[in-house]
Amino acid sequence: MLEDSSLYLQVILGGLLLGALYALLACGLNLIFGVMRVINVAHGALMMLGAYGTFWLYTLWGVHPLLSLLLVIPAFLLFGILLQRIFVERVVGGPELASLLLTFGLGICFANLALNFWKADFRSVPYLSGAYTFWGLALSRPRVAAFTAALLLTLTTYLFLKKTRLGKAIRATAQQSAVAMLCGIDARRVRRITYGLGAAMAAAAGSLLSTIYSFNPEMGHVFNLKAFAIIVLGGMGSFPGAFWGGLLLGVIEALVAFFWTTQVSEAAAYLLMLLVLLLKPEGLLSASGGAAGGRG
Amino acid sequence: MSRLWGWRLALPPALVLLLVGGVLPWVSSAYVVSLAILFFLSLTLAQSWNLISGYTGYVSFGHVVFFGVGAYTGALLATRWEWPWLPALLMSGAAAALLALGVGAICLRLRGAYFAIAMLGLNEAVQILASTWESLTGGGLGLTLPPLLEREPIYYLMGGLALGSTALAHVVASSRFGLQLLAIREDEVGAEAVGVPTTRRKIEAFVLSAVPAGMAGSLHAWHVSYIDPASVFSVLMTIQMIVMVLLGGAGTVLGPVVGAAAYTILNEIFWVRFPFLQMTLVGAAILLLILYMPMGVVHLLQERGWLPRTRKV
Repeated sequence: MLEDSSLYLQVILGGLLLGALYALLACGLNLIFGVMRVINVAHGALMMLGAYGTFWLYTLWGVHPLLSLLLVIPAFLLFGILLQRIFVERVVGGPELASLLLTFGLGICFANLALNFWKADFRSVPYLSGAYTFWGLALSRPRVAAFTAALLLTLTTYLFLKKTRLGKAIRATAQQSAVAMLCGIDARRVRRITYGLGAAMAAAAGSLLSTIYSFNPEMGHVFNLKAFAIIVLGGMGSFPGAFWGGLLLGVIEALVAFFWTTQVSEAAAYLLMLLVLLLKPEGLLSASGGAAGGRG
Repeated sequence: MSRLWGWRLALPPALVLLLVGGVLPWVSSAYVVSLAILFFLSLTLAQSWNLISGYTGYVSFGHVVFFGVGAYTGALLATRWEWPWLPALLMSGAAAALLALGVGAICLRLRGAYFAIAMLGLNEAVQILASTWESLTGGGLGLTLPPLLEREPIYYLMGGLALGSTALAHVVASSRFGLQLLAIREDEVGAEAVGVPTTRRKIEAFVLSAVPAGMAGSLHAWHVSYIDPASVFSVLMTIQMIVMVLLGGAGTVLGPVVGAAAYTILNEIFWVRFPFLQMTLVGAAILLLILYMPMGVVHLLQERGWLPRTRKV
């Protein structure tokens, strides 16, 4: 009996460890959606680029993967700002079709350029091995490290949004873009920084993922879907919703993989998403129906 | 008067095309016939995607799922249960329609973002189902089919399907139903306010769009005699539908025709030689089309006065 319960605990903890990466990824997606009502279909591809950033820094110059975040995050912040300036800004406020397809096109470009230059081989960054053991549980070291880093990054972003002037400007724009502009907030600047932040969060999630999984240029597709499932679970546009939704999906996937197979656990995310859309489309974790109906 | 003039102008080229299409299998090589089948397939899929996404603005990111479901339905009915081709073909359209009805009833009550996300996931989920349900679908190894139809019948059937879905688009475009779909695309709240039952119309358009895609799936399965989950649920096919429609013009009847023709020709001439570069270029094409030519080629021709400015094109 005791053995059993510690086994379940082990599975759930494993799910939580991975879930924090999902949360980091999905928070970035929801941040972008909240501010400009654009679903960033390029999110998974940005994550993939982040993973390659860490991989090359580690492989070519032996940079420690966690330290590589110090380079990857600012680089993708800038890259995101650039993408917003050149592409995304032009479709903000336009028809949904335009923004969905534009970011979709960006994602295809990134994934296939990566495929061209870096081949379809699976890569990984095996910088750490072994596990922490306590109370009869075993937690793999790289996963614990990635979990901690993801949690810290998400928390930092959350505090930034809550406490700083710029963060407040971002939240104000998300709530009422027109009123925020009346109060003197430069909405275009806010959108640039938001997309930069979202891109940096996706890339950071990719960096961390590269230390615990093998990946290739096509990984973005699967993680896009996971991130979408999460924001539907947690409520679209809600930062805390994406955080809890990420952890929840991690745990659910781990449990499904434990009781059935890994393949079924991949499908679990989508089935769960359809179920949520059917029963509570404003998201499992949202108290009010505030975000329901997307643009509505 | 101008309407008569338009008909008279369009009639001769249409008749010539029909005639050429009709005699093609007798006068040309197997290669040309296969290429034509590919063009008809692309055209059918483009019309199918256009019907939901071009007209209502609801982006179906997983539209290939209907093609795949149709392919498996057609393949299984024809081999496992030895149905004749016609009922099997009709059933594959019905299966796709049924799936669209179920998914549409869940996701189309909501605004477009949810629908786009759900469709992206749906294709993945169904592909996983097809790979894991080995006793029925043969799993990841796929299904090998005995030859059911020759190349020529496939050619005429696929051609008929392409023609039929284009005719359907024409009928929809000039109907009250089509206007309501366009109203949903332009301003859904406004459309609802003037009494358009938006959810119902969206679901109808979605189901209607799934049928040709499903039928094309079974014809394709019989044509290539081998299907597996990775090929018939390929994301690339959805991307292809999107870029064809964007290129030609979303929400127009001729747009998918222009797009499918251009795509087939370009694909044949040089893209096959650089498969990775091809997808990068397709991605770039989507970007450029959205930014600089969101209305597509047909609209451009209309502005120049080379095509009449009616919804019927």
